[in-house]
Amino acid sequence: MTEWLDDYLLRSVVAGLIMVIIAAPMGCLMVWQRLAFLSDTLGHAAVLGVGLGLMLSVMPIFGVLAVALLIVYSLSRVSSFNSALSETTLAIISHTGLAGGIILVGLLPAQSVNLEAILFGDLLATTGTDLLSLLVTTLVLLILLAHHWRSFVAVSVSREIAQAEGIEVRKVQFLMYTMIALLVAVMMKVMGVLLIAAMLVIPTTSARLFSRSPEQMVALSALYGLGALAGGITGSYHFDWQTGPAIVVSATALLLLTLAITRFARFNID
Amino acid sequence: MPDDLLLRARDVSYVLAGRQILDRVSFELKPAQITTIIGPNGAGKSTLTNIVTGLITGFEGEIERRPGLRIGYLPQKVYVNTLMPLTVERLLQLTQSASEREIDHALAQTDVGYLKQRQVRALSEGELKRVLLARTTLGEPDLIVLDEPTSGVDVTGEVRMYQLIGEFRSQLQCAVLLVSHDLHLVMSQTDQVLCLNQHLCCSGLPESVSQHPEYLALFGQQAADSIAIYTHHHDHVHDVSGDHAEHQHD
Repeated sequence: MTEWLDDYLLRSVVAGLIMVIIAAPMGCLMVWQRLAFLSDTLGHAAVLGVGLGLMLSVMPIFGVLAVALLIVYSLSRVSSFNSALSETTLAIISHTGLAGGIILVGLLPAQSVNLEAILFGDLLATTGTDLLSLLVTTLVLLILLAHHWRSFVAVSVSREIAQAEGIEVRKVQFLMYTMIALLVAVMMKVMGVLLIAAMLVIPTTSARLFSRSPEQMVALSALYGLGALAGGITGSYHFDWQTGPAIVVSATALLLLTLAITRFARFNID
Repeated sequence: MPDDLLLRARDVSYVLAGRQILDRVSFELKPAQITTIIGPNGAGKSTLTNIVTGLITGFEGEIERRPGLRIGYLPQKVYVNTLMPLTVERLLQLTQSASEREIDHALAQTDVGYLKQRQVRALSEGELKRVLLARTTLGEPDLIVLDEPTSGVDVTGEVRMYQLIGEFRSQLQCAVLLVSHDLHLVMSQTDQVLCLNQHLCCSGLPESVSQHPEYLALFGQQAADSIAIYTHHHDHVHDVSGDHAEHQHD
């Protein structure tokens, strides 16, 4: 039954598809709430998690998850959640995590760790276990998204209005940040810690140009994500480009193309 | 808490970064009553409304709400998220579903029915205020909290805005908590004025508050006269029991 999982290309395509599906709604939420920098921070600090995981001989993904959750939890303890998300605070956490992680990884025997794969992803090396953890996490995230979607959108529009009208904003925000931590942990394998934020932001930005409702933006983001994934895997398979970077470059190419088309269309209308 | 109250605040104090924002503020909100909070800049008016709506926690003292209290809220400054595609129609259904008819009615009330299909990010400040005012009336609220509803609205818009607030009260039978820094616009319909300057200087009917020594010390005689002018516009008679200003502290 699971024979098809033996094909590395098929495994990586499926992993990519799963990532695209979950990156679309999560990316939209993060763009709406200007949280792209938080995903970047969690991504950078994830290197520390990888280092710790390898040192303690547990799966790196658990190390990453532990570090990301610790950061989210610490931020939520600060009395004013939103001032804790200042660029300065996040930059300090981000780069300290990255630096500490690189030191840890450097202490490990060279053959036990591929730093490049951590930083930029290695989709084509997706294992069956990777795929399973990606699938389970995505399902959990999708269920949470479906269940809390109205609250998430309301908080994105105005925390003040949402709170006054009965939504428990702090709980919703904490849930959302925890979900981002989960997302970062699973996306790391595919995109690498340095490129996670790109996959959350670039397809969403393209989608925004045409969307009239939040849900439409999510659907179009998924389509743009698919396009980027197709471009990335093609570039990787045929030209031996690194997959993560190839996906990001494809996503940006699609964005530029979209911008050019909308400009041209507007020019013609005027 | 007595049944005839929507909300009761008792000795609410709030300190932020070592600065006392609110000092032992107590008041009550009754159904279908309009309460106006006035006070100079930095008096803690928005902080107080944020405590009422539940946005700020970690204050001292006590806020009791009637169980199941439904609040409609218009914040002072709405940061419009330009990154989210959102029609006005959808904005009205942000926290609850509403029927087509209810949405049309709400928007018509504030004269912005024509904006229904527009994108929120394309609205002017005044249009946005009216749309947000319309949405506070959806879902049969018990209390509408309006933080400086007239900021960003032109003068004719202001008059119309206050007219609407009066209409909401009588049509929806809901209480209104209104923040205003503009003393000239303390409405004749106001049942209760809370004059705030960290502590509650005085409270009561507009004309009684305007004669209170602490009020005069804060705003001067000119402001008192302008309230007096407003109170002459209305034609109802106050009963004796309601017509007094209480002094909260000594």
